[in-house]
Amino acid sequence: MKNLNLILAGVFFTVAAPFGGLLLGGHAQLGALGRAPAEEGGPLLPALEPGLAIQGRQVYLQLGCVACHTQQVRPAGQGSDIAQGWGARPSVARDYVLQPQVALGNRRVGPDLANYGARAKSDAEIAAHLSAPAAGSAMPAYAFLFSPAKDGSLQPNERGAALIAYLKSLRQDYSSPEAKLKQ
Amino acid sequence: MSQENPNSRPQGQGRPQGRPAETGAPRISRVDASVASPVKFFFASALLWLLVSSVLAVITAVKLHLPGFLNGCEFVTFGRLDAIQRNVFFYGWASNALIGLNLWLLASLGRFEFRNAWIATLGGLIWNLALTIGVAFVLLDSQNAFELLELPRGVAPAFFVAFLLAALWPAVAFARRPTSHVFVSQWYILGASFVLPVVYLLAQLMVLWCPTNGVLQALVHSWFLQNFLFLWLGASALAAVYYFLPKELGTTLTGYYLSTVGFWTLFLFAGWTGPATLLGSPLPLWIQSTGVVAAVMLLIPLTITSINFFGTLSRDSGWSRAWNNTTLRFVAFGLVAYTLATVLQIVFSARSLNAIVRFTAFTAGQQQLLTYAFVSMVIFGAAYFILPRLTGAFWPSAKLVHLHFWSCAVAVVGSVAGSLVFGWSQGAALAAAKPFADTAHPQAALLSSACAVLFLIGHVAFAVNAFGMLTSCSSSTDEGRQA
Repeated sequence: MKNLNLILAGVFFTVAAPFGGLLLGGHAQLGALGRAPAEEGGPLLPALEPGLAIQGRQVYLQLGCVACHTQQVRPAGQGSDIAQGWGARPSVARDYVLQPQVALGNRRVGPDLANYGARAKSDAEIAAHLSAPAAGSAMPAYAFLFSPAKDGSLQPNERGAALIAYLKSLRQDYSSPEAKLKQ
Repeated sequence: MSQENPNSRPQGQGRPQGRPAETGAPRISRVDASVASPVKFFFASALLWLLVSSVLAVITAVKLHLPGFLNGCEFVTFGRLDAIQRNVFFYGWASNALIGLNLWLLASLGRFEFRNAWIATLGGLIWNLALTIGVAFVLLDSQNAFELLELPRGVAPAFFVAFLLAALWPAVAFARRPTSHVFVSQWYILGASFVLPVVYLLAQLMVLWCPTNGVLQALVHSWFLQNFLFLWLGASALAAVYYFLPKELGTTLTGYYLSTVGFWTLFLFAGWTGPATLLGSPLPLWIQSTGVVAAVMLLIPLTITSINFFGTLSRDSGWSRAWNNTTLRFVAFGLVAYTLATVLQIVFSARSLNAIVRFTAFTAGQQQLLTYAFVSMVIFGAAYFILPRLTGAFWPSAKLVHLHFWSCAVAVVGSVAGSLVFGWSQGAALAAAKPFADTAHPQAALLSSACAVLFLIGHVAFAVNAFGMLTSCSSSTDEGRQA
């Protein structure tokens, strides 16, 4: 057993230290974070998601959209996210408290989607982008999310409608106690 | 700890691999014979997964500049294939190969014969079955949003049990070895074999089974990922380097006494570096800053491994001898990559630089430098050393060995350089507030596709050679055992 106990005890410590310091420390600070009004008496934010959007999140995960899209707006000075028009303020931890699985993402082949719902003009615009992305876009067409209607046009099917509802629900355009919107 | 003894190498050591034996086949020692079955199983599985991963990498690379390529079916969308390719590469190729490599190194360094090696093989069977089922689920059903945790959570218990059987059990069996020497390679293997199951289990619990609140999931994931990359893949590969470098050069390591400090500082600091990959995220600043400090502290283990390895290679024409030795050619290539990868990790943890390259291809290049140019190249080098000793045969074709090295070396240099250069260029353009759509470089995707094809060629060459040896070895193995 020469040195084995020492090695295992030492390695255990090296795993336990960051687990305690970072993860449990972070949990102590943010573990109980919930919705809150931006100002006293205001509505609780972030707003509850519509049921269809909750289904749409599953479609978003199924298709692996997170491989190309992030959902986090960095503060000014830490990237140009706000200058790109992806958000009016940086994302804060409270924005994600309702999400059962946070899809922050790690790579941007396409633009950030944290605030996509606030800048998308209409359902039709989102549907058009999903069914036939603009030339030059690296995004593939998601034809299987659409079905031909009687008039020959493409209409989102059940999953397509759910994904559109989810994308519309992605909004961080409200004031939060930690990040006020500039008037 | 003891220095590796260069006089203790088995017969056949030092002969250029890939060249037919001049006299007879290599003998199989009793120790090697005791682990031959599981180690061959792990390497064969790893090779199959590597081929799958390589084909998927070509498809996903082409899809990035031809989005319509193979787009008729939902199951082959980029998002699904990208996740599958990543998981197949890390759990199928790298982890299978490292479990086998660690098993062989433990037996070889401890000079003990494994009894009940079938337990490790059983672990391997469960591991590969779980991975196959997990991949099928991602293909047909759903996936999770976290890199390397994409497989359905039901796979996790199977992975955990499989790893205990295949890797932790042999590590515990280390305690029963007849020799009292402890080599630094054994430290790294034991550390890596302990870290992976613990970190994987905790990450699964806190991200998928009982999810923590909001962005804390991303924190847990970053902690898991950095542990996986540095303390499972990286530490296992370093164990192999600490073994092969002095053994094949027939010398002692420069500053070997420092290696203990290198081991402990790597394990002490790497686990804290997760938040350094989340700069600018909605996590509290103190968490992000802790990650940055830890990343900078990686300078200590990096300095020590550099003294150990480059000091050794710089003596007695070490570089030239390494170049003329198949195993060391791969290992030395990997060492340079490891040094660059760690330097980039340290430098680009600085907030101002990180802000430029975050979310671009630059970070993918950094990861590829560590996981392919270092870890995979070391595994290749190790395979050229180990497999002849387990099979009692030599590599069928020296030409395929050369094709393998040059294809993979050129591909990884091109791919990493492309990712770093185009990633930096895109980040700089974004920092200058250019519109996002104008910052992408179409030539980056083309280069990536060309490199993916080169990778595939190299891997096919390696697989043809390896399977040629594995399938023709049964008779010579028996002879070797009798000898």
